Amino acid sequence: MNFELSQDHKVLQSAVRDFVEKEIKPIAMKIDEEHMIPDELVAKMSEMGLMGSYFPQEYEGAGLDMLSYSIVVEEVSKACASSGVLISAHTSLANNPIYAFGTEEQKKKWLPDLNTGRKIGCFLLTEPGAGSDAGGTATMYRREGDEFVINGSKIFITNGGYLGTGVLFASFDRSLKHKGISAFIVDLKSPGVTIVKNENKMGIRGSYTTAFAFDDLRVPAENLLGKEGKGFNIAMDTLNGGRIGIASQALGIAEGAFERALAYSKERKQFDQAISEFQAIQFKLADMYARIETSKLMIHKAAWMKDNKMNYAMESAMCKMLASEAATYVTKEAMQIFGGYGFICDYEIERMYRDAKITEIYEGTNEVQRVVISKMLLA
Amino acid sequence: MKLLVCIKQVPDLESRFKPNAEGVWYNETDLAWRMNEYDEYAVEQAVQLREKLGEGTELTVLSIGPDRVVEAVKKALAMGADNAVHIQDPAAAGKDPWQIASIIAAYAKDKGFDIIFTGMQSQDRGSAQVGVTVAEQLGFSCTTTIVGFECDGGNITAKRELEGGIKSVVKMKTPALVTCQLGLNVPRYPTLPNIMKAKKKEITAIPVADLLKDEALATTASFHPPAKKGGGIVLEGDTGVLVDQLIAILKDKTAVLR
Repeated sequence: MNFELSQDHKVLQSAVRDFVEKEIKPIAMKIDEEHMIPDELVAKMSEMGLMGSYFPQEYEGAGLDMLSYSIVVEEVSKACASSGVLISAHTSLANNPIYAFGTEEQKKKWLPDLNTGRKIGCFLLTEPGAGSDAGGTATMYRREGDEFVINGSKIFITNGGYLGTGVLFASFDRSLKHKGISAFIVDLKSPGVTIVKNENKMGIRGSYTTAFAFDDLRVPAENLLGKEGKGFNIAMDTLNGGRIGIASQALGIAEGAFERALAYSKERKQFDQAISEFQAIQFKLADMYARIETSKLMIHKAAWMKDNKMNYAMESAMCKMLASEAATYVTKEAMQIFGGYGFICDYEIERMYRDAKITEIYEGTNEVQRVVISKMLLA
Repeated sequence: MKLLVCIKQVPDLESRFKPNAEGVWYNETDLAWRMNEYDEYAVEQAVQLREKLGEGTELTVLSIGPDRVVEAVKKALAMGADNAVHIQDPAAAGKDPWQIASIIAAYAKDKGFDIIFTGMQSQDRGSAQVGVTVAEQLGFSCTTTIVGFECDGGNITAKRELEGGIKSVVKMKTPALVTCQLGLNVPRYPTLPNIMKAKKKEITAIPVADLLKDEALATTASFHPPAKKGGGIVLEGDTGVLVDQLIAILKDKTAVLR
């Protein structure tokens, strides 16, 4: 057994780290304040190959593995969680289902643009009445000749505002619940697609969270992803992988806050000594670091299992749950270590504190993760 | 054209350095490693030339050290070098610049390299001797601390930066060696697709014993942090008194006021 990253993974890690240090870290605060990731940064991340890390080179991906992808999202999120989730939602929730369930023609048509960031991907599952209960999908579709016609609405769509390529879920018969759901690849610049709004949020403010309305959106029959009625399975399989991405984002947020808190605790003096000399602070640092390392181990295990084509549903649920709870815990403790300064926006801790919370909620709430884990234990 | 770029892996300079047990170098435990900064400029310049010359040009990257240095080699391959040579030497850190240069020269002497690129110095040892010594041993023309580089056939024009910001231009014929300085270029990031491609590039491993025949000419006798200085002087009292005290100290202890 070996817990070290391979040399190839270390090369990747330091390359991404250098990129993040120079290109993302200096503008992370601005991204949060302006609720916008600059197009130039998206272009640079695409150029760097961050948008299709683990898909084969024949589809213009980088051809690396799931662990590499996890490292990418982690390193980016250390500096900017908004940029981290842009990559995660794009890669795990759009590229991945097309790669895993698409026909060869579909892969050739859609993946090169996604893997190179020419199009930004999103995953259109959540609706006002269908959150954790995706079987409640009320967006409807019907077949008309060579087309499917889609009507309904979607909310909380990460990356929706880019109007790139979406994987959209709709039902042909609501009474069938999850068995009535199918998945479609959608060009979101098509007629019939309206952005209702881009939400204003507590955290990950640079990331788009979009509400859509679909009014007779016409999708060519060839854009059906997988078989009709199998959309729910595609969604669940997709989310298994997505959880590794979100766990990596949460891990990055936690590490970013920890690094700053550790450094600050050594600099800040009270009662004539660095506050890191106080056991109250030392114990906080120990608890924070232990949670970070536990999360990282579980993420690496889940990624390793996916790379080795093993069933990783339980591990992905566990890593998402552990890492997101580490992120909210670590950012909270980091703010306590920073004291009043942590509450002030000039320091980055308050942003990380706000960014962390969503990781406990999206891509399956942590309550849903516990359902997944316990169901598998008791099956 | 055949190009060689020599790189060294050095500790991250933000590391906390402690002397090793013998007290002649730093303890390598728990250090993070990366490519020597000046060598990154060398790699970038070599890759730019490689790209300009296109087919028929081969760029080899070379590094001496234990297995960990392969990480730096892989980075250079991901930046665009064609192949690599890892001279395996777990004890490289204990060798003097003459020995390191001798190893490189022994490897390079019958390979027909036209241009060799190195950093102007390493960030850890900082001797700035290896590049020039390699050039001397191979009989190459050589110039150091370049901030500009052009190559037209067998003619090299290198721009150097001298003290006070003065520039000079040096012209040389190949075969030649240049040592690269900050300001020469902005090293590219290895992109993910290129990191993947680099995995398929050949890294030839050569045991150092096959190349090293020379004895060291210099040995490091001691490696230690500077002696702790005494505490500063705190002046107290009215401004007028403070100024008088300060002037007296500056006159007495420094060359600022005479």
